[in-house]
Amino acid sequence: MLYSELIQRSQWLRQEIFEMVARQGTGLIPSCFSSVEILVALYYSRILNFKAGQPDWVDRDRFIMSKGHAGLAQYPILADLGYFPKDELGHFTEPESLLGLYADIRIPGIEGSSGSLGHGLGLSAGFALAAKCDNRAYRNFALLGDGECYEGSIWEAAMFAAHHQLDNLVAIIDCNELCIMGRTEELLNLGDLEFKWKSFGWHAVTVDGHSYSSLLEEGFSEIDNSDGKPVVIIAKTTKGKGISFMEDAPQWHFKSMNDDQENIARKELETNRIAS
Amino acid sequence: MSDVESLMRDVVITRIFERAKQDKDIIFMTADFGAKALDRFRTELPDQFLHMGISEQNMIDVAGGLALCGKKVFCYAMAPFISARCYEQIKCVIASMQLPVTLIAVGVGLGYDHATLTHFTPEDLAIMKALNGIEVLTPVDAESAAQNADMALDNPGFRYLRLERLPQPNLYQGGYAENSHQGCSHFINQWAEGNAVIVACGYLVHKAVAAAKALREIGIEVGVVDLYRIKPFPAQALSEILTGYKVVISVEEQALEGGLGSSVAECMVDTNTLKPLKRLGLSDGYEVVNGSRDYLHHLYGVDTPQIVNAVKAMV
Repeated sequence: MLYSELIQRSQWLRQEIFEMVARQGTGLIPSCFSSVEILVALYYSRILNFKAGQPDWVDRDRFIMSKGHAGLAQYPILADLGYFPKDELGHFTEPESLLGLYADIRIPGIEGSSGSLGHGLGLSAGFALAAKCDNRAYRNFALLGDGECYEGSIWEAAMFAAHHQLDNLVAIIDCNELCIMGRTEELLNLGDLEFKWKSFGWHAVTVDGHSYSSLLEEGFSEIDNSDGKPVVIIAKTTKGKGISFMEDAPQWHFKSMNDDQENIARKELETNRIAS
Repeated sequence: MSDVESLMRDVVITRIFERAKQDKDIIFMTADFGAKALDRFRTELPDQFLHMGISEQNMIDVAGGLALCGKKVFCYAMAPFISARCYEQIKCVIASMQLPVTLIAVGVGLGYDHATLTHFTPEDLAIMKALNGIEVLTPVDAESAAQNADMALDNPGFRYLRLERLPQPNLYQGGYAENSHQGCSHFINQWAEGNAVIVACGYLVHKAVAAAKALREIGIEVGVVDLYRIKPFPAQALSEILTGYKVVISVEEQALEGGLGSSVAECMVDTNTLKPLKRLGLSDGYEVVNGSRDYLHHLYGVDTPQIVNAVKAMV
């Protein structure tokens, strides 16, 4: 897919996420929006190897949304690819509906339930180890938040993956430098993440998480270039990317829009103000 | 399983090892906790053995990933560290997706007596039975431990297997298997036709039996129930047993809040089998001191003489 088409896909995905959240009044738009280009690259430039009609295909690549609060960002993609009917998007969080605020394993295309932070990398390391045990070539991807890297279990998993040379494991860190209460650098400094991951034995690269050329040519291109190491792509992103007043603004993590704000946001998404 | 000196952990691991030789999907993980039987496992089946470092959280998350890929996983550690230490991982990964992972805990209750509070599990029954869909088993001797291992191998599921640290006398003498579907055992043949019944699990079943023998010597007959499966709780079987008695004494090495006695009380309410119940266990505010397990039992009011006294006070 051309970069121009991927950019259109990100506009589409932001609009879909926005309307799901606006309709139901629940969901964390800023956390989803910082991950949009990463998700579009994974699914639409076919970094992930999958058969949408066969969610249980044994050789599929496995993707885990470890920053589970952005789980709903996957729903429009999975519906578009045919994992479940598009109608389901209209029933997001309704009683007995398929799609909840956090993605869970009952949903076709979702590989593991998430919501609590710090589990996805270990889970993906388990997938990667199983692939090695079974001599299968599938790859395993986990999308983490940078705030999630506060969790000690992430570093336990990082050590484990490097020791077992899980070069079929790729972690992507959506590094938007915000957690709920403010800037990570000020609240509790995460430090130099690339240095930390490298020191844990990973092949680490830092990219622009909103640029397809950077994500694909400097990030995912490294997957086959890791010399037996697991790969981490540190994607520098902006929380709330795409809606001016939400961008890089911690207060919008939970905040709800009033009608005026909703209209402004919708218009900004329609005109795709971030397209370049 | 006539060898009374067998360690539960060796018996259980040997069963898993024998099956793992035939089944490549069986994976055994340890958080730096060993066993004699494990040495052979790691040597002969290195591809099915994982030393996870002292990283219980990651052990559970990785176990979840392996289980989602079709593996039957056994996670093994000291009891406090495979229950409370990684409880959130167990809840969010194993319980939330109902994965076939067996958690093997060694040294439950006050088993690591001299290590004191950090190594005690006075809360593991309360927290583990609260997990959705889990089966909680407490073997009382090597024979029942071996049977529990077979159950986990025959029917992989989400289980918590509570093992004793030290060898225990063989209580069942070959009789566990025929009873193992019930969830509890009533030693009615030995201790029958009394007014009181003592309900315990694990190590304290042996203390209950000792109390029953002591009571017989002074002319008081009591029943003893080994409540080896705390979840799914054998409510029907236990209520039928309790129906035959006037009073009930529960004894445990758990905090009284949410432990075995609580489950017995809930069972009485739920099955409308109300009986006077005395719960012996760790009362809130219990003092943590140095001492042997037997000394601690004396201190906490769960040793054999105090079980005897509790029965005498009620009959």
